[in-house]
Amino acid sequence: MKRFADWLSTTFLSVFIQNHNSWAIPTIQSIHIVGIAIVMGSVFMISLRVLGWASTDQTLSQTTSRFGPWLSGSLWLMLVTGVLMVVGEPVRELVTFSFWLKMSMVALGTVISAIFQKSVRKREHEWEQELIHRGGVKCLAVLTFFIWACVIVLGRLIAYDHVWGSWSPATKA
Amino acid sequence: MDVSAVLDWLEGSRLASTIRDSLLIFPLLESIHVIGLALVFGTIAIIDLRLLGAASRERPFKRMASDVLKWTWAAFALTAATGSLMFITNAGVYYHNFYFRTKMLLLVLAGINMLSFELTLGRAAHKWDKAPSAPAAGKAVAVLSLAIWISVIFAGRLIGFTTSRAKQTAPTGTDVNLEDLFQGDSTGTPTKTNSSQPGSGRLP
Repeated sequence: MKRFADWLSTTFLSVFIQNHNSWAIPTIQSIHIVGIAIVMGSVFMISLRVLGWASTDQTLSQTTSRFGPWLSGSLWLMLVTGVLMVVGEPVRELVTFSFWLKMSMVALGTVISAIFQKSVRKREHEWEQELIHRGGVKCLAVLTFFIWACVIVLGRLIAYDHVWGSWSPATKA
Repeated sequence: MDVSAVLDWLEGSRLASTIRDSLLIFPLLESIHVIGLALVFGTIAIIDLRLLGAASRERPFKRMASDVLKWTWAAFALTAATGSLMFITNAGVYYHNFYFRTKMLLLVLAGINMLSFELTLGRAAHKWDKAPSAPAAGKAVAVLSLAIWISVIFAGRLIGFTTSRAKQTAPTGTDVNLEDLFQGDSTGTPTKTNSSQPGSGRLP
């Protein structure tokens, strides 16, 4: 991975970002944060609806079709800006424990959201009448929110990977 | 009262040195700050898009506002608390930082923008509550709000790139500094950390 990261840092795009890093990196990071804010806002509103704490004048499927496209659109934005950050600073990102744990969490959060939204579209009636009242579903709503909160924490910890001690590949360099 | 005396007092407080001397507290404060600001911006954007008629056009505005804004305030309180704790660790540096000052000014503008809405259109919301978008003045407030909050995020991120880390106050010498153990440079030599991190140039 270190060799891949070193190679990546010699590519044209990477060199361009490194040469303009006084504005390029903070700008890309800020867009990435705006992106996670849209993701968090959307996940939060859908979770609150499942819990029955907000948007109770709307059905579940009205709520998911209001926020679902913003969630997936913003995830694409984050993928683009995230890839740019990795290309710009490959070693800083890829040679960390936080980054890979974060990616696992992102994958988990994305899969849960995708399956959930597909299911709500297909079995709308069942969701409104029955599934939404199940305790397990409400737990899953809370869990999904915390998965995305962990994604934020882990994203921040990429800059502090030494907190993981010997788990961090950076400390073995 | 002399500002620099207050800044010194904040920096010298027990709380500030506890945060500075911990490996984990500052990164966690930053993380919670980001979670908070994500919810602040995410929920404010929901309201702004409703005012613009860009989303949730069929929902009554007042209903949405009462659904969402209490969470915005809770998240804002979390963000302000974690922000203050980060501030006191290096108060003098943050206070004089251009982007920190810009961010505070933007927050004041966001507040004025919100107040101007609440005191005028917000009070008369029953008149346009069910319309698919707010009157023109409401749309202007929404555009301003989105622009200001996005700028707050940019300014906030830039603070981390333009401030250097607070000096550790923990006694070194015989005491083991955990950070020196964990943070090696590429040659494997332990590095002294007093000029890099939370928020040093290359941080973030």
